[in-house]
Amino acid sequence: MSFEKNLLQMKKLIKKKPVKGQSLAPFVIPERPGYSSTWEKAGLSLIENEFGVVFEKKTRYEPDYRHGSFQLEDVFQAFILWNSFQGVHPVSTDDQQVVFFDTETTGLKGTGTYIFLIGQLKWNGDHFEMIQHVLADPSHETAFLYASGLWKPDHTIITYNGKSFDWPQLQTRWTLNREHLPKLLDPAHIDLLHASRRVWKNELDHFKLTKIEEDKLGFKRVGDIPGHLAPIIYFDAVKSGNPSTLLKVLSHNEWDILSLLTLFIHTTKLILQEEYSETVGTSTNIGKWFADLKAFEKSQKAFEQITKQYEAKEAAKAFYYLGFEYKRLKQANNAYKAFEQSLMYLPEGLRIKSYEELAKIAEHTKKDFNTAIEKVENALNLIEHSKILTPLKKIRLRASFEKRLIRNKKKQTISRGSADFDRK
Amino acid sequence: MKKKAIGELLNEWKQDADMRERIVHWHTIEAKGASLADFPNKLHPSIQAALKERGIHQLYSHQRQAFDIAMEGQSFTAITPTASGKSLCYHLPVLQSILEDSSTRALYLFPTKALAQDQKSDLNELIEQMNQDILSYTYDGDTSPSIRTKVRKAGHIVLTNPDMLHSGILPHHTKWVSLFENLKYIVIDELHTYKGVFGSHVAHVLRRLKRICQYYGSNPVFICTSATIANPKELAELLTNESHKLIDQNGAPSGKKNFIFYNPPIVHPTFGVRRSAILEVRDLAKRLHNEGIQTIIFAKSRVRVEMLVTYLKELTKRKIQNESIRGYRGGYLPSERRQIEKGLREGTIQTVVSTNALELGVDIGQLQACIMTGYPGNIASAWQQAGRAGRRQDEALILYVAQSTALDQYIVNHPSFLLGQSPEQARIHPDNLVILMDHLKCASFELPFKTTDQYGEFEIQELLAYLEAEGILVRTSDKWHWMSERFPAHEISLRSASQENVIIIDQTIPAATKVIGEMDRYSSMTLLHEEAIYLHQGIQFQVEKLDWEEKKAFVREVDVDYFTDANLAVELKVMSEDQEKVFEQGAVFFGDVSILAMATIFKKIRFDSHDNIGSGPIQLPPEELHTSSSWLSFNRPEGWTDSMLTDAMTGTGTSIASFIPLFVQCDRRDIHVVPQVKSIHAELPTFFVYDSYPGGIGISERVFEVWPDLLAHVEQHVASCPCDQGCPACIGAQDATVGLKDEVIKLLAYLQLKPKGEFHVI
Repeated sequence: MSFEKNLLQMKKLIKKKPVKGQSLAPFVIPERPGYSSTWEKAGLSLIENEFGVVFEKKTRYEPDYRHGSFQLEDVFQAFILWNSFQGVHPVSTDDQQVVFFDTETTGLKGTGTYIFLIGQLKWNGDHFEMIQHVLADPSHETAFLYASGLWKPDHTIITYNGKSFDWPQLQTRWTLNREHLPKLLDPAHIDLLHASRRVWKNELDHFKLTKIEEDKLGFKRVGDIPGHLAPIIYFDAVKSGNPSTLLKVLSHNEWDILSLLTLFIHTTKLILQEEYSETVGTSTNIGKWFADLKAFEKSQKAFEQITKQYEAKEAAKAFYYLGFEYKRLKQANNAYKAFEQSLMYLPEGLRIKSYEELAKIAEHTKKDFNTAIEKVENALNLIEHSKILTPLKKIRLRASFEKRLIRNKKKQTISRGSADFDRK
Repeated sequence: MKKKAIGELLNEWKQDADMRERIVHWHTIEAKGASLADFPNKLHPSIQAALKERGIHQLYSHQRQAFDIAMEGQSFTAITPTASGKSLCYHLPVLQSILEDSSTRALYLFPTKALAQDQKSDLNELIEQMNQDILSYTYDGDTSPSIRTKVRKAGHIVLTNPDMLHSGILPHHTKWVSLFENLKYIVIDELHTYKGVFGSHVAHVLRRLKRICQYYGSNPVFICTSATIANPKELAELLTNESHKLIDQNGAPSGKKNFIFYNPPIVHPTFGVRRSAILEVRDLAKRLHNEGIQTIIFAKSRVRVEMLVTYLKELTKRKIQNESIRGYRGGYLPSERRQIEKGLREGTIQTVVSTNALELGVDIGQLQACIMTGYPGNIASAWQQAGRAGRRQDEALILYVAQSTALDQYIVNHPSFLLGQSPEQARIHPDNLVILMDHLKCASFELPFKTTDQYGEFEIQELLAYLEAEGILVRTSDKWHWMSERFPAHEISLRSASQENVIIIDQTIPAATKVIGEMDRYSSMTLLHEEAIYLHQGIQFQVEKLDWEEKKAFVREVDVDYFTDANLAVELKVMSEDQEKVFEQGAVFFGDVSILAMATIFKKIRFDSHDNIGSGPIQLPPEELHTSSSWLSFNRPEGWTDSMLTDAMTGTGTSIASFIPLFVQCDRRDIHVVPQVKSIHAELPTFFVYDSYPGGIGISERVFEVWPDLLAHVEQHVASCPCDQGCPACIGAQDATVGLKDEVIKLLAYLQLKPKGEFHVI
């Protein structure tokens, strides 16, 4: 172990205690809400722990349980695919306990927003189990958070928009109860909203989970309550004591989490299973994602596959990205071919860049200044007639291409001169 | 041609017959030497080194005093005129404490974003000179999300404004644990700006802040700096709910100052009409410009600023790329303002025309001369504007140019009004229930109250029960929990009711429209109506379309020889009468009123001659304000005609308005007095006093209690005023209406309220 690592280990031993002015008072267990028995009759179990009470609902699913187009046990194939994947990818997971996780809250942000429902779906030896914890009332928050078990180490959570919403919100609640609770560690976290955005860029307009469910996962909800009503329903349940509508929020949350699991299956297959694909756009997006993650072997393979499989028109972007793959591999001729093939059907912005790449290869590798000049002029022509570029952008682009043009013309003259000289 | 120094120029003026006639009074404030103190022994060597690098080898006495008091852990307030090195009063103890314990945190509050950014560059420069690892950041709406986490976790010094603290920091305090656990100093710069409604709101924001600090176990020291006002210590203590020591002996030196009271010449002897002050200021500014004297000109409105800029730019018209004359006011974009401030500090800008936006401690260095176009409305402001002139070793010139309004004429003829009086008091009233309830909601959102808790100095259990009844809170065994989807801080603006500004879009080039500024709703009714000429940096724009729904004004550059001036009609209706007290002469009431303000017509006025050359209607929906009011309705005294009553009531109203702040301790702008000879609701002569804040801030409620006293005081004051015809100090200056003052005194004598019947509440 290196010296630095040793030091870092030591550092963990240094404990700081926050200076507390007042509240070192012992924890007082709050009173049970008056409606406890009504909620129990409605089907929630009352669980007691050292901090108070919490309501709980457990649901069991057999492995072959079907949700939309998938069976829950298909998730194991997805895990296998990831385990055989060599490399780092934001959607990959290892053998840790995987938890599909979603919350319902009383608002959108700030310390006045409570989490009132935490749902977790796990594999439990021979079946899947959903555990939903419901905040009994705000004074029982410590009990609620403790019961969630989220403080236990060594699990991977999978969420939809959890990185910017659910988890920070959980951290806020945890901070407010930190005197009594074990520390909340940051688990490995896979946010499928991020993945969905990469996979379906330019393919989907909205990334609402219910929308993806219908379009991609083959699931349609019947009798669902809209998510934005959840806070009001919870307030009403606490104020009136009547939990009947609250149970619909639990179903809503249950559907969210089941869809989360099937979304994980679907995206995993799209990313890692070669024969499993949707559209050329999705496949190109995935290739690009690999490229951005510097998994070049994967990205090159993906782009090559697309260019073989699809018409030039559909594969234009794949050709374009493939051009960069070859450029990186210093295969100038291949790169040049790929950019050439991409040109015709690329959107304007990328076409200008493609011309730029062609001009670079022509100038620097092929020393073919006539071609370079031709490509630059093509780009300038596109810029001139563009309807989407802002005036400022036009000026900047034009300036850089004109610089290239002048340089090439100079080189052209010199090379002609030296050719003439050779002839003499 | 050789440029003259100020001293030479003034000598010349003393010889000049015209100038001698126009200069009514010449007041000289002699130079004052510095009062110095050694560096404290414990002052960290790196701070000492940084100061020495700046050429500072000793501290001013007030800076040393500030350091010593802060190190004792005592909150304090320092009076710091412009250019007295106020920032060292807080930087030194804060930096020292951070160097002693690197976990120490400090929060600096500035009234505006701009001031915070200004101070940050100054502070960072100091830290760089110290060569220490201290992190300071501004945190406001402009802070990019990527560094927010860093600011929250690692910033030793966070510079922000009350609005951001209110809606961006306190409601998210769990993200700021390391700040709140270790907060040792809260610095409040420009204390004097926290008055009236804004100040009352900020007082609550600070109570919320202290509550959060207590939750995380810190107990910070408050350091306030203030311009000269009558009651700095009282204001600081009320604002922070903490006892303060006062540092009022300033050790900074100042150069000799010439304070000149200048009255424009009479151009029409028969009617006593004087030349326009704007034109006079233009000419004086030109003379100073020609001598190369760096000058700041204060004008009262945005329009005047732009007019003066237009006039003065004539001077540099033929010089290409000359940016030596600039305007500066709210509504310019921040980047533009930063650029102007820099130009002033570096001397590339020689003349700047400003609204009171530059009264605040924006760092523009010290200029040589200051011209006030008219009286800024209160003594404290006048001194702050004057303070902009005066380099340490240099003679300074302050020119007060009187307009022909009554108030200005009174002041130019009674210099002691300005020179001899102490500045006004700054008042706040945090115990106003409307504001209190607003912030109680925010505080409940931030942390649940216990059923035994207080909030600041307030007992709140009953108020919390009310919020529970409203369905916002839920009570459990020992706490009140926020149970609402709402985010209360977003619904509460600290500044004013109308938070939404109108964006000004230049569409001169259709393909390249751009935002050139913004303006508050109320001002835009009269300045951005369709066909209005809007001036921006001396360039004229005509408003082509005002989209009131979307709050956008579309303008196009034009070149015309006129400006526009709009009328605002105000209508007042009584909504409910809650309390009434009957007297012999009439009755006083307390209740709710609705005020309707509507822009009616605008006039086109030619530059230079100021002739009216056309007019047009303004089609905008009225703006409505519901507020509380107290009014006095009385039976018409026998033998008084409508017109006699109108004049006398106008004069009396002015007087009442100027005395109310004394009686109920508020800012003058927080109330309005409207006399009506025949009120709409009771058809009797009536004085309305109303709070200029939606829902009221409880001022008129207090006025309701003091009517007899108030009127007695007003009568005594008017009767004993030495003027003949009435003056701004009593009934407002008069347009030569002979005998009006007598009528006001008669009316006031009649209005000495005598009790009748019993008090009853309806």
